[in-house]
Amino acid sequence: MFIKYILKIAFFLHRSKRYKDTKKLFYNFLQNPDFIYKRYFDSFMIFLILISVVILVYEVKNPVPIWVDDFDVYAVTAIFSLEYILRFWVYNDLHTEIVKEYEEAKFLKKSFKPWLPFKRTIKGKLAYMLSPSAIVDLLAILPAYRPLRVLRIFVLFRVFKLLRYTKSIHQFVEVLATKRFELMTLLFLLVFIVSTAGIAIYVFEERTNPNINSLFDAMYWALITISSVGYGDISPITSAGRVVSMIIIISGIAMISFVTSIIVSAFSEKLSELKENRIVERINKNKDFIIICGYGQMTRMFLKNNSLLSYEYVIIEEDTKRVEIGIKEGYNIINEDASRHDVIAKFNIDYSNITLLALTGSDVNNIYITLNAKALSKNIKVIARASDEKMEKKFKLAGVDHVVLPSMVANRMLLFAITQPAMYRAIYSMLTGQNLSQLDEISTITHYKLVGKKIEEIDFKRHKLLFIGFQCGRKEEFVFNPPKKIDIRVGDILLVMGHKVSIEYFKQQYGEIFYG
Amino acid sequence: MANRQAFLFGYSKRSTFITKELRKNGFDIIIIVSDTQSFEKAKEHGYLDVIKIDMTDDNALENLQVTEDDYLVCVMEDSHFNVFLTLSLRSLFPISKIIALSDSFHVTQKLKMAGASKVIDLYQVSANRIYNILNKPIATKLIGNLLSPEENLSIREIDIPEDSLLDNIMVDDFDFSQHGVILVGMIDRRLSNQFLFVTSGLEHRLDRGDMMVCIGYNDDLDRFEKYVKTTY
Repeated sequence: MFIKYILKIAFFLHRSKRYKDTKKLFYNFLQNPDFIYKRYFDSFMIFLILISVVILVYEVKNPVPIWVDDFDVYAVTAIFSLEYILRFWVYNDLHTEIVKEYEEAKFLKKSFKPWLPFKRTIKGKLAYMLSPSAIVDLLAILPAYRPLRVLRIFVLFRVFKLLRYTKSIHQFVEVLATKRFELMTLLFLLVFIVSTAGIAIYVFEERTNPNINSLFDAMYWALITISSVGYGDISPITSAGRVVSMIIIISGIAMISFVTSIIVSAFSEKLSELKENRIVERINKNKDFIIICGYGQMTRMFLKNNSLLSYEYVIIEEDTKRVEIGIKEGYNIINEDASRHDVIAKFNIDYSNITLLALTGSDVNNIYITLNAKALSKNIKVIARASDEKMEKKFKLAGVDHVVLPSMVANRMLLFAITQPAMYRAIYSMLTGQNLSQLDEISTITHYKLVGKKIEEIDFKRHKLLFIGFQCGRKEEFVFNPPKKIDIRVGDILLVMGHKVSIEYFKQQYGEIFYG
Repeated sequence: MANRQAFLFGYSKRSTFITKELRKNGFDIIIIVSDTQSFEKAKEHGYLDVIKIDMTDDNALENLQVTEDDYLVCVMEDSHFNVFLTLSLRSLFPISKIIALSDSFHVTQKLKMAGASKVIDLYQVSANRIYNILNKPIATKLIGNLLSPEENLSIREIDIPEDSLLDNIMVDDFDFSQHGVILVGMIDRRLSNQFLFVTSGLEHRLDRGDMMVCIGYNDDLDRFEKYVKTTY
C-alpha cells in the first residue's frame, strides 16, 4: 500500500510539467551559468554577503541597531538557508530514480525494490552535502545561532561563498589547481624544512633561550623565519641556532621564488584561455549574437562595412597567425576549431538567438561547421559561404538557412554593370545603402503609430520615400505594391526606399520605441 | 542595331558565368587569354572569338580593335596582373568602359586608381548581402527576386520614345501604381546623364529619350512598356 502511494506520487511528479518547470527554473538560477538571469541572482547574493561582513566588522567597535542585527541574523540567514535547501533539492531527483527503477523492474519482470532508488538518491544528496561548496554554504548559515556568539566568526565563511558567485576568484583557484602537483611538492618541502628547523632550534636552544618554551614555539619561529616575515619576538641566541636561521632564510628565499614562478607560469599558460573564456561569457549574456567562423577577407569586409552592426559577435578561427592579426585589429576573436562540438556548445544555445556565419574558405569546413551547429540546436540560424552554385544543394541539405555565393553575387553585379548600367546603380544602392537611396524595413511593432492607418493615409511622398510593399505579419507573405485602401496591422513590416535621413525622419514621426 | 561587344580578359572558373550570361544578353564576346590551357578551355566551351596574346605587350593589346562603346572586363585570377592590365587598358583606351573584378579591399582601391570605371568587389558584395540578410531580410529577398531571372518580379529599364504618352509629363502627376509598377529612378536627359532616384527630392519631367527604371511583375511591366511606347 505504502509502495503504491510512493509510486503514485513519483509518477505524478514525473508527469507534472509545472513541477519540472519550477525545478528547472530554480536549477537555472542556482546552477546554470548560461542562464541569462543568473547574474542578477548572483549579484543579489554577493550584496547580502558584503552586508553581512560589513555588519560583522562594524559591530566590533560600535553597537548596531537591533533591526540591523535581526536583518543579519534572520533575513540573511533565512535566504542562505533557503538557498541551501533549494540546492539540495535540485541536485538530483528521487521521483526520476523511482520511476526508472520501477520501469526497469517491470521490463525485466523482476520485483520492484523501492529502497534502491532511495539509496541512490540519498547517496547523491550526501555527495552534494560533503562537497566543499556545500560545506561552506552550511557553515555560512551557522552565525545565526545566537547562544554561541563565537560562531559569529563563521560570517567569514560567507566570504568563501563569494567563490560561488564571482567568476574571477573561481578562475584564480582553477588556474592554481592546474599546478596542484608542483604546489603540493613545495608544500611538502616546506613542511619538511620547517619541521627539521623547528626541531633543531628546539634541541639547541630550549634550555638557553627564554623565548622557546615548547616545540610549538620552535615551529612558530621556523615558519615566521622561512616566510621572511621575521617578527623578532623569538630569535636564536646560540651559534648553532643562528646557523639553522641562516639555512632556513636561504631556503625561504628559494621557496618564495619557486612559488611565485609557479603561479606566474600557471597564469601565463592559461592567459589566452582565460581571455577567450571571458569573451565567451560576455557574449553569452546577450539575447542575440553572431558567431563568425573563419577570419578571412569576407569576415574582415563584413565587420569593416558593418561597424554599426547592432549585434554582438565573436570570431572563431583555427589558425593562430590569423587570430593574432584579428586581435591586433581589435576584434573579438578566439583560437578554436568551430567544427568541434564542444566549441559551439560553450555558447548559450538554449537561451540566446544565435546566428552562425560559416565564412571559412573551404566548403567542406563550412558544411561541417553547419552540421555541428545544427546538431546542437536547430534554432541556430546558419548563413554559409559556398564556392560554387553546385555546392548550394549540399549546403541546403546540411541545414543552412542562407547560402551566399560570393562569385555568383559578384558575377550578377558585374553582369548588371555591363548589361543594364542604370539599373546597376539602383540595385547597388539598394544593396549597400551607400549612395542616395536605400531599402529599409519599418516594423509596426516598434513604429506603433502606423498601426490602423490605411496606406493612402501615410504621406510617403512628403517624406520623400517610395513605398514598395509590406510583409503581412500573420502570413509572413510579401505584398508588392498593395492597394491604397489596405489597413496596416500590428506585426506588419513596411518596405520603403529613400535617403537614409528621410527614412530616419519618417521613423521618428511614426514613433520609434525600443524594447529591452 | 549592331550587337554590343565585350572583351573578357581572362578565362577561368570565376568568369564562365559572366561569359555565358553576356552571350545570352546579346553581347559579342571576345575572350583574351595569355595561356594555352585557358585558350583550349574557352574553345572547348564553344567560344569562337578566343585570342591568345601576351597581355603585358601594349602592341598586342592595341591590335585588339577596341572601340569606344566596347566593354573591357578584367577578370584575371591573379589580382596583381588584373591591376596591371587595367592600367595598360586605361592608358591605351582612355574613354572605354573598364569593369574589373576584385577580391579584396586593397585590390579594389588599386583597380580604381588604375582607372577602372567600375570595380565589383567579390567579398564586399557578399559581406553586404550577409548584413542585409541579418538586418533587412525582406528587402534582401526582394532584391534577390529582382535579380533572379526565374522570379516573376523584375526590375526593368524602359525608354520613353518620341511622342510617347509619357512625354512631357511630371513624375508626380503620373500614377504608376495604377499600372502595377513602381518607378525607382530614371536617367533624365535634360538634367544629366546620371541616374536619379525618384526619392532625391527633385521635380522630374519625363521627356522623350529619358530612361525609367521600374519594378513590377513581368506582366505588368510588359503592359506598362507597351503603354509607354504608345504614341499620340
